[in-house]
Amino acid sequence: MSVYILPVLLILLIVYCAVKRVKVYDCFLAGARDSLSLVKNIFPYIAAIFICIEAFKASGLAQALADVLQKPLSYLGIPSELAQLIALVPLSGNGTIALLESIIKDCGPDSYPARCAAVISGATETIFYIAAVYFSSSSVKKLRYAIPVSLFCTLMGAVVACALCRVM
Amino acid sequence: MNAAFTLLTLISLVMLTVLSPQKAFPTLIEGVGGAVALAFKLVAVYAVWLSVLKMAEATGLDKKLSRGLRPLIRKLFKGESDDAYDHISVNLASNMLGMGGVATPAGIKAIGSMRSDGVRASDNMILLVVINATSIQLIPAAVIAIRAANGSADAADIFLPTFISTAVSTLSGILICKTLSLKDKHNKNDISYDLNSIVKPDFCKKFKYGRNDK
Repeated sequence: MSVYILPVLLILLIVYCAVKRVKVYDCFLAGARDSLSLVKNIFPYIAAIFICIEAFKASGLAQALADVLQKPLSYLGIPSELAQLIALVPLSGNGTIALLESIIKDCGPDSYPARCAAVISGATETIFYIAAVYFSSSSVKKLRYAIPVSLFCTLMGAVVACALCRVM
Repeated sequence: MNAAFTLLTLISLVMLTVLSPQKAFPTLIEGVGGAVALAFKLVAVYAVWLSVLKMAEATGLDKKLSRGLRPLIRKLFKGESDDAYDHISVNLASNMLGMGGVATPAGIKAIGSMRSDGVRASDNMILLVVINATSIQLIPAAVIAIRAANGSADAADIFLPTFISTAVSTLSGILICKTLSLKDKHNKNDISYDLNSIVKPDFCKKFKYGRNDK
């Protein structure tokens, strides 16, 4: 069933564009143009995070971290491969994408940890970035309970995600 | 991010140098190699997805969604101005669609146009941050595309789990915020609200467009 979701939505959107007389060709040109500049802008972040991840894995620290976190994470139903991902998710969106790619490569695209990782990456936001940027031009300095509540709910979402991936 | 990056890389490099020094430098280059490969994949993914978003924007679909969210937003964020409701609905609608580039400036403007208690974030501001942080995802397109690019049999099958888990996290976030703000109201009776709502700085000129990321 889910194979049809994206293509059907895309077909509907293009038909809707035709009805509304929106220039589809121009939209694709603009999208492709923006894509290059977007990736050009985020490449430094991806490169930095990849260097970090690669060194972290090669040094054996990633395995050590996974071993330490295995127990607490398993109580929550989260595979230990995702320990790094969960730590990175609130900090960096590009880092999350980079780490997701390496988890998919290591475990296989349709394996249980890779699917959990995909759902968690799609479902989470860069909390610290949002909090910093949204208040950047306001006089508000004390965020009170904003970040703890966001982090807690994100973790809860991750637990739900891993549970859902077992059955769906 | 700087401190975390320095610390992690430093510790890893020290470990590598002690354990297998010949691997230390190639590892770093391998890392960038992976980044280059991913960047090319992302160019393809974003070229398609940004085009789709352009179409959604050009047909006014994003505005329709934000208009549909309006009654709900009025209920959730009590006592804000119409101006603030506008920005909040654009912010939340574009976040649901994964349009970070639109969501971020709208979020900055929303916070700027909301009533403020001075240096402390108001309950509504916190609610906005929490809903953004846990935002319901309608289509996790980038993730689906990356799975497809790596040979998944059914790349889109994470669609429903993503939607449900974000719905759960958003709902619980709203519930926790509302509970905490009720508690807060019992503890202090606030008259500073009316004073501060008169002062409303002009943020519209200041914001920059950017991705929802760093």
